[in-house]
Amino acid sequence: MITAQDKILHVANKLGLTSLKDMQASTGAVYDVDTDLSGQIFSNAARHQNPSITNINENQFEVNEALLVETIAFYCLSAGGDVTNFQQQYGSNAVILFDLVIGNKRVMKDTPVFAAGSPYCFANAGNKDRTIGEDVASTFIPRHQIFMEGAGILIPPQVQWYVQYTVFNIITGAVIAPIEAKQIGCYLFGTKVLLNFNTTI
Amino acid sequence: MASQPQKLAYVDGKLGAPTSGQQTTRVLFNTIEVPGTTSSLIFFRNFQGLTNGQTNLTQNKLDSMESMVIKTIYLLQLSSAGICREFGGTVQQTCSIIVGNQTVVKNLPIQFAAGESAQVFDRLHENAGVRTTQVVEGTATAQTIMPSEIRLLTDIVIPPQVAFEVRIDSNGGAYETGAVVCALAGYGKIFSAGNSF
Repeated sequence: MITAQDKILHVANKLGLTSLKDMQASTGAVYDVDTDLSGQIFSNAARHQNPSITNINENQFEVNEALLVETIAFYCLSAGGDVTNFQQQYGSNAVILFDLVIGNKRVMKDTPVFAAGSPYCFANAGNKDRTIGEDVASTFIPRHQIFMEGAGILIPPQVQWYVQYTVFNIITGAVIAPIEAKQIGCYLFGTKVLLNFNTTI
Repeated sequence: MASQPQKLAYVDGKLGAPTSGQQTTRVLFNTIEVPGTTSSLIFFRNFQGLTNGQTNLTQNKLDSMESMVIKTIYLLQLSSAGICREFGGTVQQTCSIIVGNQTVVKNLPIQFAAGESAQVFDRLHENAGVRTTQVVEGTATAQTIMPSEIRLLTDIVIPPQVAFEVRIDSNGGAYETGAVVCALAGYGKIFSAGNSF
């Protein structure tokens, strides 16, 4: 079984990134929200407030920094800046269809994230929401994640990346236009390489 | 134990299929609209009239440079109001996956991973659904049932250019008049002209 570190070093070697192996291995996540309702996430991160909307200054890593993407998740951001659940905002019949693009290459292709809860989440509840004492059901707050268990995907240094997405209604097949008060956000989580001028670990 | 990439490389090698390409995580899905009550559902057979939000394939086979490993079978039922329901109601159903002319998953019961029985096969599920006696009619944003999901113990390979389908059999499953969705998730390879990231 190839480890995350093995994969990073393998790709770095292929790309001629000879010094990446000397950098600090870490765990990290990058996130951003499609505030323009453009159907792209991360591509406009440079214009977004940090950290309320994003935690990056631009949609590429600096020299000798990289991220091996192992988990991708989607969420919503309300007009008031609250981080909320996609299903709670768009309903169980919505689906996000997304591509992950690195450089000029599409590395995740037409991948669905079902609002009702996605594959890979083991039908497990993200959370349960219930008003105690009231005559309502316990409701699930499903997870909207893709766990890349077979192969993580490396975002190398100094290469731009973005997520292209569209929201559909599964039942009718119609596109659901992005809603200003329910902006779609995304995070990429995984093994991170941080710039370090000294030999590491 | 062989990992998903190892299994895919082994089978692709046996078949003489291309082993290069971008490694990725792949989820194929297909929707059946207005399924109603029926004893048989066949996913990945009909693509006519479906939009990109209802399927991410245009035919029931992968492209010539693509292949994937199925690790998870996912089944979702939505009412016409967009409410997530128990898949097929509460009756027992079985699932079969046919790749080429070979049945690779045969009559696997799915009701244990749905609704109220909560007797899913693996230990990773917390539960599959929850019901209380206080249930009031849900809305699309108040979800009381989770989709069904079965984690396969043996990875199943879909090679390039080989037709496949998923069959659900029952003695009259109630799938309502919204839509049912089947997704096959796992590791895959997609066409890539250059080096992989």
